Amino acid sequence: MDALTSFLAALAALATPMSVFHVAWATLLGIFVGSLPGLTATMGVALLTTLTYTMERDTAILVLICMYVGAIYGGSRSAILLNIPGTPASAATSLDGYPLAQAGKAGYAMALATAGSAMGTLVGIVMLVLLAPPLAEIALDFGSFEFFWLAVFGIVISGQLTGGVTPLKGYIAGLLGLMVAMIGSEGIHAHVRFNLGFDQMNGGIGLIPAMVGAFGFAEVLTVMWRNKPELVEKEATNDRVLPRIADLIRYKFTILRSGVIGTLVGIIPGVGEDIGAWASYAAAKRTSPEKEEFGKGSQEGLTAAETGNSAVVPGSLIPALTLAVPGSAPAAVLIAALFIHGIRPGPMIMVEQPTFIYSIAAMLVFATIAIAIYGLSLTRLFILVLKIPREILMPVVFTLCVIGPYALTQRVFDIWVMVAFGLIGFLLRQMKYPMAPLVLGIILGALLDKSLRRGLTLSDGSLEPFFTRPISAFFVLVIVVSIAMGLPPVRRAIGRLTSRRQGESRS
Amino acid sequence: MRFDSATADRLTAAAFFALGAAMTWGGYEMDRLEIRQIHPASIPGLVPMILGAALMLCAFLLALSAKRTPREADTGSGSWKDFGFTAIWSCVFALGLVSRIPFVLASGLYIAGFAGWFLIPAATDSRGRLRAVLLVLLFGAVTATAISALFRYGFLVRLP
Repeated sequence: MDALTSFLAALAALATPMSVFHVAWATLLGIFVGSLPGLTATMGVALLTTLTYTMERDTAILVLICMYVGAIYGGSRSAILLNIPGTPASAATSLDGYPLAQAGKAGYAMALATAGSAMGTLVGIVMLVLLAPPLAEIALDFGSFEFFWLAVFGIVISGQLTGGVTPLKGYIAGLLGLMVAMIGSEGIHAHVRFNLGFDQMNGGIGLIPAMVGAFGFAEVLTVMWRNKPELVEKEATNDRVLPRIADLIRYKFTILRSGVIGTLVGIIPGVGEDIGAWASYAAAKRTSPEKEEFGKGSQEGLTAAETGNSAVVPGSLIPALTLAVPGSAPAAVLIAALFIHGIRPGPMIMVEQPTFIYSIAAMLVFATIAIAIYGLSLTRLFILVLKIPREILMPVVFTLCVIGPYALTQRVFDIWVMVAFGLIGFLLRQMKYPMAPLVLGIILGALLDKSLRRGLTLSDGSLEPFFTRPISAFFVLVIVVSIAMGLPPVRRAIGRLTSRRQGESRS
Repeated sequence: MRFDSATADRLTAAAFFALGAAMTWGGYEMDRLEIRQIHPASIPGLVPMILGAALMLCAFLLALSAKRTPREADTGSGSWKDFGFTAIWSCVFALGLVSRIPFVLASGLYIAGFAGWFLIPAATDSRGRLRAVLLVLLFGAVTATAISALFRYGFLVRLP
């Protein structure tokens, strides 16, 4: 009851004309960012963070949340019309969205994507309100030993799930992120490490310049390197742009299941919206009576993918707020933004700012209403946005990538960091290294470093408490199982077992 | 050579192995702050040593598995010319022009140069080219002024 009262109070506090104005422009900007191939949600949130320095705390967070929700939803536009996901989160959407567009149902596909996204976010918000406070309470029992394993768990699971065909590249990306976090003054004895003779590196590598480089400049390079996409234009403007209630009722279990899967995927550190969409899509395909339609223009598949990726947004904020461990790459930037605006996410959040989680939930509700309104009313405008030539858009994006990180510290060095991360990020992406574990590594590096050394100091050098305390032992078990599942011999054995079982059930 | 190939994986594995070795050595050689009598388990080089060793192990496994890793079919690479221009012109702007000339001028040059590189040759006749030149100059000037004004007067940033 307390939670509901706090949530309603947060909703009422947000219902001011000024807040509605901020929701309106930030969500619209987010949808534009998400719908343009090459502009991702992470890049949008990172660049917008640099524009919120002078804003009041709650306004800044509101604007960033709206950008995040809007961009994840906006990715469905180009996935449906261009067969190119506007953001990686919409990759599963294009499987059925583009065939629907080719069949002359682009408007209806976008309507279903809108409904799915809105409902997915709402399912996630309910779970955020229900799960975040108890998780924060559990996290109060975490000591150095548990935080160390939490950081390791985040890197391992993120590398495992985002590494594609081999988790090895995911692990390497995570290790590179952790190594970046080792640069600069460490948190226990204030000893400066690996500054390579540059005084500017004494404070470490800033997360915002690194993120803007890895997600902004790298994306600009990728977009200009790729061949130009072609728009499905003729069919896009002629059909229904509102979802049928009967369809939504038909897919109610798909929506609910995808919402829950998306939120749970969001809770897992550093995994993100794309995995949420794929997991929801796969679950929908397994249980659907129209399995054969998936991939050929299935409305259920499209709804599942969009519900799943949008539900990840509130889900990823659960660990971000309660453990300071991001559930996705945009959530990592949000954590940095929270620190910039004087909010300390982590287990103490329910003690220091007990109503903050409900404020975030209220912001998400406002953003959801905005995407529903825009999505159902501005379909034709979004088609026009997709026609902006990349040769016009990309130099503007890069100029913002340069001035944005500079604005925070007013150091030219941060521009160099952005450029370096952009070039390295481009190369790593082309070689199929995921970016999410890298970002997670940069965020978790300090926590891992301090927790291990503090834990060893507390135990006088003994490793025993790292393995015998109950929560630590649980994390160790999950980490060992995760790594074992990624080993080729174990994978082959599981594959053989599964095929043998399928063979037995057929005979 | 493709970015996603066994050869590329082996080369990056060698680079990562060297990076891991350097990190391990750097951590080992790092000041142990004995003069401050800190606990030996809290030396600043401990975690860098572990991370370096872990990267070396991963790099070794990457090199071993490079040949067997399943890869997506080659769908043809993108435009190296467009990529090369974007990378070089963007680096010239960010590392060369910014902080040496006023930001509004640097960004105007960059935006107009970028758009012009692609749009002017795309025009079919001399009149079209002249129109494209005027358009990219106007676009560069307006966008650079708007971005500079936003940060200078909106967010009170002293521009580089």
